[in-house]
Amino acid sequence: MAHFTRRQFLKISGATAGVAAVAGAVPGLARRSATIEAATPQFQTSGEDVIVPTVCLLCPSGCGMLARVADGRVVKMEGSPMHPINLGALCPKGQASLELLYNPDRLKNPLRRSGARGSGQWREITWDEAITEVAQRLNNLRQAGHPEQAALLYGETRGQLRSFFDRFMRAVGSPNAISKDSLNVEAAKLATYYTQGIYNFPNYDLENSNYILSFGANLLEAGPWVQRTVAGQSYMRRGRATRGKIVVIDPRQGITGAKADEWIPIVPGTDAALALGMAYVLIKAGLIDFEFVHEYGFGFEDFSTDGVKHKGFKNFVLENYDPRKVEKITGVPATTISRLTGEFAKNQPGVAMLAGKGGMLNGSIGGLYAGMAVHILNALVGNIDKPGGVQTQRTMPCTSWPELSSDPVAEAGRQQQRLDGAGSKYPLARHAYQAVADHVLNGASVDTLFLTGANPVFEAPGGQRFIDAFSKIPFIVSFASFVDDSAQYADLVLPEPTFLERWQDDHIEGMGYPGIALRQPVIEPLYNTMNTADFFLRVAQAMGGPVAAAFPWGSYEEVLQYRLQNIGTDWDTLKELGVWMVPGYHPARRGNKRWVQEVVGSDRLSAPRDGRFDFYARELSCALDALSPEQLAALGLSVTGDAVYLPHYEAPSYQGDANDYPLHLNVITLMSLGPVSAAANMPTLMEISGMTVGETWRGWVEMNPETARKYFLQKDDEVVVESPFGRVQTRLKIVPGLRPDTVNMPYNFGHTAGGRYAKNRGANGLTVMSGQTEPATGLAAFTNTRVRVRKA
Amino acid sequence: MPKWSMVIDLEKCVACQACSIACRFENNTPVVSPELAWEGREMRWNDVFPAPHEEVGDYPNTKTHYLTRPCMHCENPPCIKVCPVQATFIDEEGLVRQNYARCIGCRYCTVACPYGVRYFNWFAPEFESPLEQHLNPDKIEGRGDLEGPAVRPKGVVEKCTYCVHRLRKAHARAEAEGRDFRPDEYMPACVQTCTGKARFFGDMNDPDSTVSKLAESDRAFRLLEEVGTHPKTIYLQEGK
Repeated sequence: MAHFTRRQFLKISGATAGVAAVAGAVPGLARRSATIEAATPQFQTSGEDVIVPTVCLLCPSGCGMLARVADGRVVKMEGSPMHPINLGALCPKGQASLELLYNPDRLKNPLRRSGARGSGQWREITWDEAITEVAQRLNNLRQAGHPEQAALLYGETRGQLRSFFDRFMRAVGSPNAISKDSLNVEAAKLATYYTQGIYNFPNYDLENSNYILSFGANLLEAGPWVQRTVAGQSYMRRGRATRGKIVVIDPRQGITGAKADEWIPIVPGTDAALALGMAYVLIKAGLIDFEFVHEYGFGFEDFSTDGVKHKGFKNFVLENYDPRKVEKITGVPATTISRLTGEFAKNQPGVAMLAGKGGMLNGSIGGLYAGMAVHILNALVGNIDKPGGVQTQRTMPCTSWPELSSDPVAEAGRQQQRLDGAGSKYPLARHAYQAVADHVLNGASVDTLFLTGANPVFEAPGGQRFIDAFSKIPFIVSFASFVDDSAQYADLVLPEPTFLERWQDDHIEGMGYPGIALRQPVIEPLYNTMNTADFFLRVAQAMGGPVAAAFPWGSYEEVLQYRLQNIGTDWDTLKELGVWMVPGYHPARRGNKRWVQEVVGSDRLSAPRDGRFDFYARELSCALDALSPEQLAALGLSVTGDAVYLPHYEAPSYQGDANDYPLHLNVITLMSLGPVSAAANMPTLMEISGMTVGETWRGWVEMNPETARKYFLQKDDEVVVESPFGRVQTRLKIVPGLRPDTVNMPYNFGHTAGGRYAKNRGANGLTVMSGQTEPATGLAAFTNTRVRVRKA
Repeated sequence: MPKWSMVIDLEKCVACQACSIACRFENNTPVVSPELAWEGREMRWNDVFPAPHEEVGDYPNTKTHYLTRPCMHCENPPCIKVCPVQATFIDEEGLVRQNYARCIGCRYCTVACPYGVRYFNWFAPEFESPLEQHLNPDKIEGRGDLEGPAVRPKGVVEKCTYCVHRLRKAHARAEAEGRDFRPDEYMPACVQTCTGKARFFGDMNDPDSTVSKLAESDRAFRLLEEVGTHPKTIYLQEGK
């Protein structure tokens, strides 16, 4: 090292240099620049280096990022050490996000269709034309008295954006702001709602937990905050004195199962039976928290209201879910059920985790009951709002939106039935994204459809239905950074800036305590793009009247400043740090005021908000009692009476004959390509996508070796995966860590559009799915399609 | 003089591949075409894969183990011995480096390396415009020509450098601020990004450093210890 003398080194001017000159090695807390006066021959770099904090948007984790901007180019992303979810770490998607920003296929200007739908012929227009056209269209609908014929499908909305979209649609007069939650987290949210009375995904304190029962919660590859669960499992394994145990209950082993202590390959769609079998053991062996179930639970024992006797959870489970019976349903030996349950109860605190996306628990018929059964395990051992147990996510107090002014047209429109059937056809649903296609095809009238962060043609099971549905919708506007699978059928495609070029906030979820993170433009937008929220603001202004009055802000940045004015910091500090939070989770004392207001029952609409955890779902009983016997029968439940309100196992109903279609199809989300469909156009992610099976740049189907032998199939064979609803061709991979009756296909392959790296690579397994909607909850039925696999 | 070493805890590693991709964006390794990728010619200085030649068992008693593999930065590197032009060398701090200006592309080193961590540029790297905008501008001039992230030409072998340019940068900063360089001021990109916090980096000559202590663990092992390369990239075994 003798040849390094002081003079040879670059000189960095000013006192500011120290903090931010090295990207991420020390977190740059602010936009601080380091100007290099003279680059020496030995070490050369850019003239000006700036570190800008922002937040990732390539999965729902919402990891904090520090962007290194060198001479106006973004050259590296690092995890922000300030952000509690990732603490400086960043997954391959976040690292590769520059390929989204600098992608050669990005949309540069607003486009209007100039040929037939789907012909790929476009003409560039100005933003003013687009704004005028949309405003005119919405005003016409309002004048005709049918504002409900405008609908908006949205995907991953973060922070204030969901309530912003909802407000816009409400101001226009439409109830149709429809989230794609019904494709993933909605099952878990509803399960928590009908038991704990909180409409949110439960939060798990993995760091302090000793035992994890993961019911398809794929915690190392996909989930509502996968980076959070990766960090949690890493800490509970090797970050502390006692090593926690992880049990993965999933038909597929995957990386999560390979890293776990035990893998339980359960029969697909039978998680409810297993969870209730475990409840049986807990009750029978007296391993439950008696104080909790009796003092803070409802319906554990039999009870009577108005002289009518009702069955409680305890006797229902003891009568029906003997582990020896459960063994026959789930394929999990009764001894294993008893052993795992004993371990779970004796190694508290521990958690039974629900799946976000990526498990086979969700979306099957009866998925709601499965979720309730799993979540109730946490209540039986009394770990609701305890360290190492289930936490309830708190949010930052946002300034409320101003009241909408009186507007008879909008008020009438908002009373109309929702396009997706949520709350009407699907009585328990809040959103039924995938059902929009069915309702449009069945004659529901939609005049104007907005798609933002939504690519239903690709991401909904049986998404091809949307292509037909789109042909019945006169006007479709897609906001996207690429002409994706759905945008290619739109009339207007409006270019969105990538998440690295726009203002957007984020509620930090996964820690329990409240926090806000901020996305900000790390560089000036590269192209003639407009933030979708800003577009709607300008449309509202162009519409005039009560809609304009509902949006008195000049830009979405101002909206954020308004909503976040009381979070405890000023805007400049938030911009500088990128995050603001109130760290430290404080469990509520059972039964006290905070317990009732924040932890148990506070989101219930009809049932008493009495701080009692429902083993017998009173809210469900309120929601379903309004239905006629015929309507109840249409839900297709196998039980009647009290069992309807108790978690129970509903045998999945499958499409197609079991002899013709013997295999379950499971579409899995990968760590590499993630749940966001635009990520498929990032070449680096395509390259690394098939790491576990030795594949790259094309999709595959995973099969157990025994099954492959049975069908005379070999590794790398071109095969056809066929269901009653369609067929796709892909390559076979042999995976021992998989049930012989199940095959897996990775998500985010088989795009028909979306850019040069995404298009025509592999096959999309969702296209052979039935596209059914669960009749009560409006959830997409991801798991009730069976397939056969044969040589191509 | 520090002796740089990396310790990877395979129990905390979740095979997410963030290390591979952090490396790509830090060191400007190109994405190759799908056709080349199918031939196994991807350029990832750090790679993650299911551990080869390992019994995975039969369903349901099966388990796949994953391995993440940067350069081992051997103390006795076989790649150096076979290089006819002394393009690859080990520097004073123990980093095994490559002088692109001297490299003649004979690929002896890629064969000699028992770990397969040396990558040959069969073609000049291409970045479809505007993807070249994200290239890391850092570069250093070593004993030959530009080293570190500077995009390599066709016909040379390249490899993991433990992000030697970050080391230089940290030294430069210490110098500019008129103070001594501390070994904890520098870590490679893969270590910084690790989602499972499975990677540790530091000075093996310091007995109190994290890596020195972890290297003493009964879980510690080195890849192909028996071939006598004495790797400075050390692994901690899973499930023990």
